[in-house]
Amino acid sequence: MNIPNSSTAPNANEYAGDEVSAIVLDPGYSTTRAGFAGEDVPKSVCPSFYGHIDSDSSPQYFFGENAIHNPVPNLEIKNPWGSDGIVEDWDTATKIWEYAITSRLTGSKPGNPGKNGLNDANGDDMDIDIEGLENMEKPLEESPLLMTEPGWNSQKAREKCIEIAMEEWGTPAFYLQKTGVLAAFASGKASGIIIDVGASITSVTPVLDGMVLKKGVQKSPLAGNFVSNQIRMIFKQSQPEIPLTPHYKVASKTQVDAGAPSQAIYKSFEIPLMESFHRHEEERVLTEFKESVVEVWPGPGRFSNGTNEEIAKSQPGRPFEMPDGWNQVFGVDRYRAAEALFDAGAALQDAENPRPKDEHTIPRLVQAAIQQVDTDQRPLLLQNIVVTGGSTLLYKFNDRLNYEINAIYPSTRNKLIAPGSVVERKYAAWIGGSILASLGTFHQLWISRKEYEEHGVNIVEKRCK
Amino acid sequence: MPPFKDEQIIIIAPGSETTVAQLGLPESFTPARIRVRSRMFPAEKEGEWEPYKVRRRSDKPEMSAPAHDAQGAVLNPANRDDDDIVYEEDRVSEEGAVWPIQQGRIVNWPCFFALVTHVYNTMNPPFHTPILLIAQPAWAPREHERLTQFFFEKFKTPAFGLMDSALATSWAYGVHTSTVVDVGRDKVDVTAVSEFIPHIQGRVIALPECGGEALTNGLLAKLKSRGLTRDMCEQLKKSPICELLPPGTPLPGTGESNGLDRITNPAAAASTGAPGSGPAAASAIGNVPRGPGADTEVGDDGNGDESEGVLDVASIVAGGKMSEYLARKEKEKEEKAAAKKKGLEAAVQPARPIRLPNAKREKATFMYEDHFLLDTLKNMNLGSKGMAEAQAALDEGPQKKGQDDVDGEPRSAIDASGSADMASSSSRTGPIRREIEVGVERFQADSGGILEKIADAIHRTISSVDEVNKRSELWDSLIICGNGSRLRGFKEALMVTLQTKYLISPSSATIFTSEIPSNISTPAGTGANTPQPQLGPHGGPSQVNPLLLAATTAQNPHLMPPGSNPLGMPGMSSHNQHSSHGQTPTSIKFVKPPEYFPEWKDVGFDESAFLGAQVAAKVIFVVDQGQSKGYMTRPDYNDQGPMGIHDYSL
Repeated sequence: MNIPNSSTAPNANEYAGDEVSAIVLDPGYSTTRAGFAGEDVPKSVCPSFYGHIDSDSSPQYFFGENAIHNPVPNLEIKNPWGSDGIVEDWDTATKIWEYAITSRLTGSKPGNPGKNGLNDANGDDMDIDIEGLENMEKPLEESPLLMTEPGWNSQKAREKCIEIAMEEWGTPAFYLQKTGVLAAFASGKASGIIIDVGASITSVTPVLDGMVLKKGVQKSPLAGNFVSNQIRMIFKQSQPEIPLTPHYKVASKTQVDAGAPSQAIYKSFEIPLMESFHRHEEERVLTEFKESVVEVWPGPGRFSNGTNEEIAKSQPGRPFEMPDGWNQVFGVDRYRAAEALFDAGAALQDAENPRPKDEHTIPRLVQAAIQQVDTDQRPLLLQNIVVTGGSTLLYKFNDRLNYEINAIYPSTRNKLIAPGSVVERKYAAWIGGSILASLGTFHQLWISRKEYEEHGVNIVEKRCK
Repeated sequence: MPPFKDEQIIIIAPGSETTVAQLGLPESFTPARIRVRSRMFPAEKEGEWEPYKVRRRSDKPEMSAPAHDAQGAVLNPANRDDDDIVYEEDRVSEEGAVWPIQQGRIVNWPCFFALVTHVYNTMNPPFHTPILLIAQPAWAPREHERLTQFFFEKFKTPAFGLMDSALATSWAYGVHTSTVVDVGRDKVDVTAVSEFIPHIQGRVIALPECGGEALTNGLLAKLKSRGLTRDMCEQLKKSPICELLPPGTPLPGTGESNGLDRITNPAAAASTGAPGSGPAAASAIGNVPRGPGADTEVGDDGNGDESEGVLDVASIVAGGKMSEYLARKEKEKEEKAAAKKKGLEAAVQPARPIRLPNAKREKATFMYEDHFLLDTLKNMNLGSKGMAEAQAALDEGPQKKGQDDVDGEPRSAIDASGSADMASSSSRTGPIRREIEVGVERFQADSGGILEKIADAIHRTISSVDEVNKRSELWDSLIICGNGSRLRGFKEALMVTLQTKYLISPSSATIFTSEIPSNISTPAGTGANTPQPQLGPHGGPSQVNPLLLAATTAQNPHLMPPGSNPLGMPGMSSHNQHSSHGQTPTSIKFVKPPEYFPEWKDVGFDESAFLGAQVAAKVIFVVDQGQSKGYMTRPDYNDQGPMGIHDYSL
């Protein structure tokens, strides 16, 4: 009889052996990632945006990529996340996450097990039937669930997560882990400082030996959506104003000279579409713009420093064509959009978009996070600066970040760990979760259904540090 | 020694509309030998399924067996409860059918399993047959497990493999990177396949209201007011006269309204709902209210001139007025022939419509096979003699056509559709055919904006591919497949839609500036981005390094060959785009179908997923001797259970 220790695999029938694939759910503002533990990419990446038609009788909800790009009258595009990076609308968020899991992982719920033929096929005996009937509505009853949360998640939100997983989805085991830790795991690090630039929130999380240093967690709203707004302002403030027309409005476009007004044939809609839909579609164009034009000033120095702007002007421009055919070459402007991530003073401003706070820029966040760490741990963290999040894919982002950090900490060995593969950069937290949940040693960490039933929701505070 | 032989391999490709399968790989790959409509009929006993409709007939037993025209299937003996009631299989009818796959998803598992079992039994395979199943993109991993379990436990197969249909398509075309647009019955899947790996995150799965059904609905919306039923529209869609014109093409005869009054009856019985099956319902069919207004009452002697437009013959026949109808039809034909002759004598006919291509003709006719009428007849228990007579009288198919040639309808379309049918159908139980004429509506199947939806889905799919530098290659290798795209002009129209909406033109501002064009990357130290002059499909005219050419000519505009610009240079298109710079698409192209499959060339590559599966089956089961773990063996299954399939499926 061997005594189980941390290096022996757990008994296969204890909660879940390696055979039972856990599901890892990594919800974010822009997309919700879900997949089976042990795989290298999430199989299901669904938009966190959802469509909503508010009619008198029954409000309709639309989930998934296919449903939210149709120009349908009265279709509102909404997002359940709040501006602080914590879910606001739990009901809808639950539905979105459930959609992400069922649509591409577990399949739609089987009907009555007595009739759906599953039991005819494998010739199982009848007790499965009865069990199935009781939990027929639960989509996750066979899979343990590992969920990610931001480092600043509130206790209430955490308790809500386990409640949803246990009560609504019927998962047999649950665990909640912070995205920062998981992103570090994905890069094979147990300690480090994680810079995560997402869609709505940029966060900096110091992690030591797999534990988040909670008081060191920093966040700011200067992230992907902020860059999008900066681009909008560039368009608005340029002379003449640059028209931003999303694809759905254009029937066909004609080639025009650079800067010339477009000559596209537009579509007409009898009932005007909702503003939120329009904005969401504009965002698609802005994403393309970010991918193909926007560039972070790589340093040295800030973009506004000395002759940097002059140098930038001499760089070749990047052409961009709008969905309606309008096109132009963007020279200096393309450096402006993302500059405010590093230099709050460089942000474009107007009435709706006030000047961002200095302490929200990424270098200052890093500084503030490091401040909270013991002096002797700082070099260790600075050697493991993990960069993750979709917005870090901005061209030359890492060059600039490297420059900024070396400027603040010239005496330490600073090392950026930024996975070259786009997938790893975008889904780092999910991948870390996938690794974690498939480790044999992790199985003792699961909160089982029994424990949940015994202790209630606040067990999550005790067990998931 | 490979573990399996060519002739042992089974490939099954289930689809929403048609399931195709084959036992054994021929020397030269052929289209699937077995084609089954993906539907089953509930049997008498709950939970059991029949592949064909079973009809009760109180007839003499010797009249029972209909001609067996279906390929190779064994006719089940009609099971007799007593002497009077006979059950017979009806191979044409689809009344009461259950379709287990909808929008690519399996919605009715027992029915689906019954369908697969039926397909399997039809092939009558020996032992030791590995099975390769083409998986629809909509099937979730858990469903893969379910299928694995079924195949191993029901068929005791020694080896089982699952292959994604988009991947199979790209195997068929022999390209490692492609964008596969699979237009199905009521859905469209768009998948970006990059280096033989389907890009799962951004793929558009089961885009609803975009497939063949939607096209039928588009036709129905236009033609409903003319009294065409859904079934008619479906057949119109399949006939060669139905076509999608590229967006912006004017419809033939627009602005003119001449001749549009030939189908006069606005809604003759268009709304007759299909009654329940069985003799009771059939006998009651005459009493079913079948029109929105009083004047739509069919068979009314008073308005004989309307009969050209009477399309719901089934209710006439069921109402017992068949002979009247036939007599009137006959008379009318004579009149028409006479009128034609007179017309010919009186005035010189304008250019005969026959010689114009379909796209220019304002009207055309197609042959409609009236299954509903046939069902009605069968439900009337006429007995086989009466049945044959009624059919012969009602059929206007090509075999009768010889006599009716006088009315000078355009023939080409009919012959094309008719001759194909003739081969497979026997004259006695073959479908009843009638001619229906339609106007320019036949070009308007896309009234619901289907093409635009698909185009948008393609754009979304490719834009969601994370490796930005792969995108232009994906745009350059579009594959449109699926039987929904069989409609004439569909692919061309989709291409035009994509090009007018999404193609990025070379910017006039960068052509003459002194810079390397933005979509030409700086060569990296690894040499990864260094463009190589290419030959072959992308081979450009110039043998020099394109980067060099671009750099030199862009700085010296006068050196640039006239008519070309650095952005659109041939040879540059595939892999030279800098990551995160340069918009896509700067060009959109279809992948050329492979040319070395003569059997497939004739039927078209719409089911190329099956071809790809044949190639893959050959590779994974035979050629590489099981090294690539492309399939799961019985011992693997015993060890790992259904869950293990994820380690094996392609």
